[in-house]
Amino acid sequence: MIRKSKRLLSMTGALFIAASLPTSVTLAEASGSNIEEGKKLAFTRSKGNCLACHMIKGGDSPGTIAPPLLMMKSRFPDKKVLKAQVWDASKRNPETSMPLFGRYEILTEDEVDKVVDFIHSL
Amino acid sequence: MNNLMIKLMLICMVSMVTATVYADPEKDKQLLTDFFKARFAGVPLQEFANGSYAYDTIGRASWEAIEEFPPYEIAVDEGEAMWETPFANGKSYQDCFPDGPAIGHKYPHWDDKQGKVVTMALAINQCREANGEKPLKYKKGSINNILSYVSFLSRGKKTQVVIPENNKDAMAAYEDGKKFFFTRRGQLNFSCATCHIQNAGMKIRSEVLSPALGQTTHFPVYRSKWGAVGTLHRRFTGCNKQVRAKPFKAQGEQYRNLEYFLTYMSNGLELNGPGARK
Amino acid sequence: MKIVTIIILSIAISLISSVAVAGDQKAAESAIAAAEQSRKKAASVDGEWRDTGKMIKKAQAAMKDGKFDKAIKIANFAERQGQYGYEQAVSQKTLTMPSYLK
Repeated sequence: MIRKSKRLLSMTGALFIAASLPTSVTLAEASGSNIEEGKKLAFTRSKGNCLACHMIKGGDSPGTIAPPLLMMKSRFPDKKVLKAQVWDASKRNPETSMPLFGRYEILTEDEVDKVVDFIHSL
Repeated sequence: MNNLMIKLMLICMVSMVTATVYADPEKDKQLLTDFFKARFAGVPLQEFANGSYAYDTIGRASWEAIEEFPPYEIAVDEGEAMWETPFANGKSYQDCFPDGPAIGHKYPHWDDKQGKVVTMALAINQCREANGEKPLKYKKGSINNILSYVSFLSRGKKTQVVIPENNKDAMAAYEDGKKFFFTRRGQLNFSCATCHIQNAGMKIRSEVLSPALGQTTHFPVYRSKWGAVGTLHRRFTGCNKQVRAKPFKAQGEQYRNLEYFLTYMSNGLELNGPGARK
Repeated sequence: MKIVTIIILSIAISLISSVAVAGDQKAAESAIAAAEQSRKKAASVDGEWRDTGKMIKKAQAAMKDGKFDKAIKIANFAERQGQYGYEQAVSQKTLTMPSYLK
């Protein structure tokens, strides 16, 4: 009787620990899946809708309001600076035409990170 | 001699005050006109009454083709029928508007008795209600017919919005409309100016952004997207929703004041409605 | 004896969970009320955003369905939207003409 309950307890304990482990791990390097999901978010009208203003490889009928997104690693060597721009473009330019994707929660932080991973890869 | 001196002094004082009262709207209009002249060098001023077709040559070609069989013609005809049909009490629109129906250029104007900006649409409903008729809806439906009729017959008349001299309330309405135009709103954080001045001529996806100058001359407008003629305030509503701002009431104070400011900016441009757009 | 223990235990559990549910309902109601207040504040300065009202309705529907965590999450977001809209409007209280029009 006692041995059975001990086994049950240790199994439950192990399951509990496993369940409480973080489901996503933030990597310094963008994972392939992040870039793919970021691209989807960037190209979705109700999400990033980046093509409204930016030319992006792989997207058609881009707008011409803003600079084309290419050579991003040389333009934004520090990914954090790119994230800050996507988060709140008004910080760099108070007269910006770019929505404040992070600050006004158009995208969640997780979504912003994915979009940034995608854009940085261009 | 004394009398003459006093008269001269009075004239000087009045003109000083009126100069102050008129200084800003005319300056605003000048700044706006200079901006568009610089950005679209060579485009004649009256062309801005055609919106983005003033500079979007591809869009203009399709527009000119559409204008061969104008999609607003039916609305104009139905509007004529409305104008000619007496109300139940025997009176008609002509009684409300003795100078009509070619009176598009007289609106919007400041109405001192009512203490507000009166637009053509508002005046039509006020006429209806004064004669025991039900008011029409302000965005869709038959108001667009009578507005199309008035608009069509008013073609060629020059936009001439007046801010009455020394009228603080009228000036306040103009300033309110101006502020609205330049205020960022909605989750997307755009002002009217962001698209229609700052980025006029650029493309948002495949759409060429239209200029604020000349924006009011061609309403009501047949929009292919609507499949119908719609009012200026309907378009204001749509634009506000597109930037994820809660729109305001059609013919409410915000949109009437905005119309007052925006139409003033087109002073001098000939009316050319109804228009046809994508 | 065993059956009595089970009965007592199940009554206790259902009492505790109904108190917990009532507590969650209160939390959801409070979150929705806060959201509505925030929405009105933004509206008072003509700064209300398009989706805030819809979100509050969604939160109310979720609460009716007993989905209290969902209701609270949506209501909290709506409350933040009201805040952003209010700040956006108030930060532009005085009109400054843009640099491209001077």
